[in-house]
Amino acid sequence: MSEIVDTPPGPRTWQVSWTGLRTVAVLELRQRVRSTRWITILVIWALLLGAMTTLLHLAFRRLGQGGESEEVGAIIFGLIVYLVLSLGSLISPALSATSVNGDRSAGVLATLQTTLLTPAEIALGKLGAAWLTALAFLAVALPFLGWGFLDGGTPPGRFLITLTLLAVMLLVVCAVGLGWSAITSRTTSSAVLTYLTITFVGVGLPVLFFMLAPLVTTTERRTVRDMVSQSAVWDPRGQVWMSNEMNGDSPMVCRESFQETTVTHSERIWWLLAGNPFVVLADASPMPDGNGDDILSSIRTNVRDLRLGAPAVQDRCADWGRMRAENAAQQEKRQKQRQALNATWPYGLAVNLLLGTTFTAVAIRRLRAPAAKLPRGTRVA
Amino acid sequence: MDYALIESNDLDAGTGVVARGVRRTFGDVVAVDSMDLDVPPGRVTALVGPNGSGKTTLLLVLATLLAPDAGTVTVAGADPRTDPWEVRRRTGWMPDAFGTWETLTCREVLETVAAAYRLPRAGIRARVDELLELVHLADLADRPTQVLSRGQKQRLGLARALVHSPAVLLLDEPASGLDPRSRIELRGIVRDLATAGAAVLVSSHVLAELDTLADRAVFVSGGCTVSVRDLDVASAGPRTWTVRALDAGALERALDALGRVHGDPGVDGAVELELTGDDDAASLLSALVHDDVPVVSLRPSGGVLEQAYLSLTKERQ
Ligand SMILES: Nc1ncnc2c1ncn2[C@@H]1O[C@H](COP(=O)(O)OP(=O)(O)O)[C@@H](O)[C@H]1O
Ligand SMILES: [Mg+2]
Repeated sequence: MSEIVDTPPGPRTWQVSWTGLRTVAVLELRQRVRSTRWITILVIWALLLGAMTTLLHLAFRRLGQGGESEEVGAIIFGLIVYLVLSLGSLISPALSATSVNGDRSAGVLATLQTTLLTPAEIALGKLGAAWLTALAFLAVALPFLGWGFLDGGTPPGRFLITLTLLAVMLLVVCAVGLGWSAITSRTTSSAVLTYLTITFVGVGLPVLFFMLAPLVTTTERRTVRDMVSQSAVWDPRGQVWMSNEMNGDSPMVCRESFQETTVTHSERIWWLLAGNPFVVLADASPMPDGNGDDILSSIRTNVRDLRLGAPAVQDRCADWGRMRAENAAQQEKRQKQRQALNATWPYGLAVNLLLGTTFTAVAIRRLRAPAAKLPRGTRVA
Repeated sequence: MDYALIESNDLDAGTGVVARGVRRTFGDVVAVDSMDLDVPPGRVTALVGPNGSGKTTLLLVLATLLAPDAGTVTVAGADPRTDPWEVRRRTGWMPDAFGTWETLTCREVLETVAAAYRLPRAGIRARVDELLELVHLADLADRPTQVLSRGQKQRLGLARALVHSPAVLLLDEPASGLDPRSRIELRGIVRDLATAGAAVLVSSHVLAELDTLADRAVFVSGGCTVSVRDLDVASAGPRTWTVRALDAGALERALDALGRVHGDPGVDGAVELELTGDDDAASLLSALVHDDVPVVSLRPSGGVLEQAYLSLTKERQ
């Protein structure tokens, strides 16, 4: 034991062995999985997903009578991915968000801490067990994801990437739960804080984005393309198009002018959306042509648009459907710009992994013994 | 009973437990103010004190769970603060409030703890069987611990503390909830461990249960060590005895004739008096028998510890 130096509480805090991990994970699975009706919950989960998937198929089959079945397949796949992500994020903390403080109040945490298990083994073992449970839910969801996939329209690469990212996102959720359960002494507090954290990343940040949008909106002089009648003239003083015709007999055309207009600089705050798990999943698996009408593709497109910010030329003609041909060039340019952007998902994934790592590290630190401080109102034994 | 498994262990308790000036507070609650404690190897030391006197807190410090605010501690030759791993490897701790993984069976609990102490996988099964046998839980081995009675849980807790053959044993109120038979068995296990060289510390506020168990007693009160007694000395030293005869009158007359100072007979005709030690008691008994007093019993009043405790509180008054 000569490798031990005198920095309390021991340099072994962060050491991890396979045996130690397995011991804790097996204990955790036996202890918690046995005490809950997981089978029942898994069956309910399967029934829920089955019902939703069937409904989606029925609905889209009726709606998309004329549409291609491939398109419908991609749409359903995207929706089910999001369904699994949101419901999975709700279920995953059930196991991890009470794993440390639950053990503490049951008086069994100290029993582990006095053995030769390191704090890292205890924390990661618990995390591993929680993740395995979350993966069981993902496994049950697999047939339904596969159903959307088999409808066509989803490249196999997209299927695999999405599945992998789903598993990673659930791991992050488990880690957040573990961290809170080590920080707070009451299991209800840790469960609530875990859900708040997850909701903040998943819903709160997008809401924050829209709330901040007015702050990055300015009035600037820009080139604007408007639909006006052929005879209209630009009045720079009044900042309007003047037309002396009473009833627009002459055809409408798209004209440019240099005028004051409001511009939302979304490129300054787009990063608020980058860490959102839904955005990460969408951005990581583009359709081969970078386009698509499914929810994953449209979220990817929209976030990239926000990242580019308002175009140099504000094109109000684009809103006029019948003028599409005239604007095709503009649109294509914009799409090329979107495609040229670096992927945002690596940042988003990094943010999530950082979040998970931080919470795990906090849990490990909190599991160190001997403890100098105890959470308020707790006893060690 | 055969405690071969205990004796076969290679126990090296080092200097046992040595604690000096230990202090531990929780916010403004001073749980342990200043405690000194020695738990020498080969002996059973009792930690005696009223509720809330800081016994559990001191044991948590020794068991590497709480850092002391002040003082020095050595357990099995290592400092729990700087080298908790070495302390844990050699120390078994049985907590006061016994929590258990409720859905695990007794066997699974012990197997988990054995794995957590990194015992070689090959030996775990046999070791667990031995321990279950030792604490008489073999027939409940595959039942979830949820269904165990309080006493059975205590016995499982003892087995859990013994899994890795510790050289230092810290037992926090081990006898609470045990039936008389289990208590006697606990005594057997603990005494055998001490004989094999282990340093054993047993905390309790019930004096009677420590009487036949401990060699030494450390008295604590209000977070401080008040006194240390060697119980062999206590039983040899002056103390109160109770003598009872069929004829209380004859007994009183005989005692007066022998010049012994004694109290008034109680309802059962028993008389209390001070004797200087075991030799004194033996000579008194033979004198009474010689005088044809029909003596039924002559025994120390109360337990040895109780007397030590009472004499202690008397000293403090
Ligand atoms: N975690 C804690 N937080 C606050 N007070 C505590 C804590 N642990 C113990 N105490 C207090 O310290 C004192 C000693 O407790 P304890 O060591 O459990 O006594 P004993 O085991 O001798 O009955 C008690 O007054 C108790 O309320
Ligand atoms: Mg106590």
